[in-house]
Amino acid sequence: MNSKSANYYMSVEQLSNLAGSDIQGLVPILDWDENEYSFAILDCFEQSLRKSQRLLFVIDEQVELLTTEGIILSQHARPDTRFVTGFQEGPVKEALTGLSPLRALLTVASGTMRNGKLSLIDNEGKTHTRAGLRELMPISGKAVVLITPQGLRGYDQALDDLTAHIRTSGGTPLTAGNLYRMIDHACVDYVAKPTIEIHQEETAFDTATNLIDSYLSIVRMNEYGIIHDLDTEFLHDYRIALRKIRSILSLFKGVYDIDQAHQLKIRFSALMTPTGPLRDLDVYLLEQESFYSLVPHTMHSGLDAMFSLMRSRRTDEQARLAIHLKIGRYKKEIKALTKLFSKKRKLKPGPNSSRTSYDFACELIWKRYRKICRLAATINVATPDQEIHQLRIECKKLRYPMEFFSAVFPQEPFDSLLKSLKRLQDSLGLFNDCVVQQINLQAFVDDLNDEQHQLEITQSIGSLITILYQRQSAEREKITNAFVRFSSDRMQRSFRTLFQSRKEF
Amino acid sequence: MQIVACYSNKGGVGKTATAVNLAYAFATSGRRTLLCDLDPQGASGFYFRVKPSKKLTEARFFEDVEHFTKSIRGSDYDNLDILPANMSFRDFDVFLSKMKDARSRLKKALKAVKGDYDIVLLDCPPNISILSENIFRAADAVVTPVIPTTLSQRTFEQLLEFFREHDLPMEKIHAFFSMIQGTKTLHGEMIVELTHNYPKRIMAAKIPFASEIERMGVVRAPVLATAPDSPAGKAYQALFDELLERIVP
Repeated sequence: MNSKSANYYMSVEQLSNLAGSDIQGLVPILDWDENEYSFAILDCFEQSLRKSQRLLFVIDEQVELLTTEGIILSQHARPDTRFVTGFQEGPVKEALTGLSPLRALLTVASGTMRNGKLSLIDNEGKTHTRAGLRELMPISGKAVVLITPQGLRGYDQALDDLTAHIRTSGGTPLTAGNLYRMIDHACVDYVAKPTIEIHQEETAFDTATNLIDSYLSIVRMNEYGIIHDLDTEFLHDYRIALRKIRSILSLFKGVYDIDQAHQLKIRFSALMTPTGPLRDLDVYLLEQESFYSLVPHTMHSGLDAMFSLMRSRRTDEQARLAIHLKIGRYKKEIKALTKLFSKKRKLKPGPNSSRTSYDFACELIWKRYRKICRLAATINVATPDQEIHQLRIECKKLRYPMEFFSAVFPQEPFDSLLKSLKRLQDSLGLFNDCVVQQINLQAFVDDLNDEQHQLEITQSIGSLITILYQRQSAEREKITNAFVRFSSDRMQRSFRTLFQSRKEF
Repeated sequence: MQIVACYSNKGGVGKTATAVNLAYAFATSGRRTLLCDLDPQGASGFYFRVKPSKKLTEARFFEDVEHFTKSIRGSDYDNLDILPANMSFRDFDVFLSKMKDARSRLKKALKAVKGDYDIVLLDCPPNISILSENIFRAADAVVTPVIPTTLSQRTFEQLLEFFREHDLPMEKIHAFFSMIQGTKTLHGEMIVELTHNYPKRIMAAKIPFASEIERMGVVRAPVLATAPDSPAGKAYQALFDELLERIVP
């Protein structure tokens, strides 16, 4: 029986070296199938599959997943499947449950492949162990061979010898290396939330500049996906990176020259503006299912008409944004900003520029936390929506610096505070979604100009708004309780210990 | 797990060739298969190029689960493992006769691999003994090759008699004609007579006397792997298909 074992990859030359001489008295025999197949390696933009040590293939009309344990799962796949949710039910789809349903499966490499076998045989022609081979010949990039050693029962030594030989011949375990980079050196490793190293003694100016520089590269990496409409996460990540940059410019007061910081804020806001309408439509379309579940069946036809209208508007908005990102004016501006933060020479330091990051972070976080505590003390069930909205913004202003500076604080107590904040923000987020959706849906109705199905849409939206209002009210009570917890004595002590140990509360 | 014994109390009837080809056919059908070579001559192992096990003595086979399972070797074919024979297997009978509850020892020993295999095929030595009785008790099916000659008819009837005397279920026996030579009139007559006498015990599939089967010793692989389209290959496939229908619940 075949036993489970790890998968390796190596270059074609390394394989021919491996198969070139006897291995512990056993003769290696290479045997390739005549048939060639088309293949594509698929992964999300952030390479979630590679990072979880798996490999997803499309081979002709089969989709195959090589798991961390070296097991191959396979099922039929339609050639146009772009999201994991689009797969038919089957073992591969089941194994990919944890993969984001929002991220498209992109082609990392494609070309032709052939299967083969490397056997180690004894002097009577008996196989003691073998390895399944897959030679991948990509259209562009370097050819590689995937090797899966397969033990035969009772011949454990031969399997160990073969595995050791694969390693010494340059084989890299699939779980340890980066196969994509071996195929294509230029393969980009995208991380939406990069860990940016900050030293306690680093100046606030350097920290802010490095952070902005890193987020600008995220902005740039997402442009292609937005232009080609690969999935909605590209725009989402693009906007988050821009929002983080803007918050650095606002929060790091006095780190840059005041006038320059003001100008930069305006420039980054201008980059953000054209992305708003498309993102709003994306959010609604992604929420489609939950909207349907909120209203009775009789109202569904109105939603059908509303979403169909939204889809057509989305097509227009996407085309508009793609053109915007492709034109010279945008390109010139984003290049200028990237250069400004990577070269640093033209950045003008402000009065706080030379303070250490640690001091600056402590003060900033402490100030933000205290402001939230003050506001939290005043909220109750009768607090107007506007004030809750203000609290949500304050929480964001605390969250960003905490995330930016996480590297300079002790991990365990810091993570626990961040987790509490995230919980609070989740509740606030739900509340805010309900409020904003009510306003936007109302605006959507008001904008309907003699559209077909206008009455149906209006009725459906009417019932949606009612339900959203009920949800909003239910969430309000939760928020009041969450704030009580977040500003409790215990929490204040924890914040003080981490960020204000030398000052009085 | 089902246990299928390839058994004949007469030697040279094509028993090992049958065990080897049936084992291959079971494995190819996707069933995890173990071929146990209980014949001390070790011919089954030879056909699969597996060297005889030096370590597995009779005591270990029946008592020491770990040694028994460690002696199993993967064949070159998917789903097919071999337990190679050892010359010490010739003393199985003596050993078993000394043991308490000797008659069901084999069944107990095979329980050690129950989870690993769907089918265990036993290639048995050609005699009627305590080991054979063990085999008859352990097996779900006893596949018996019969050459259509008077002598073979006699040994086949001895087997049936043994089953009757020991109160063994007769339905376990699935006999078939082996090494048939179309040119021999006697073969034809014996086939008709035996089929008439034992219609439920004798299968329709017939294995011819063929050079491909003889050549198994040279190529050291089952006919079904090397010459599936030859008359012998087709005959073994038909035997497998028919057996499957008879034994699969």
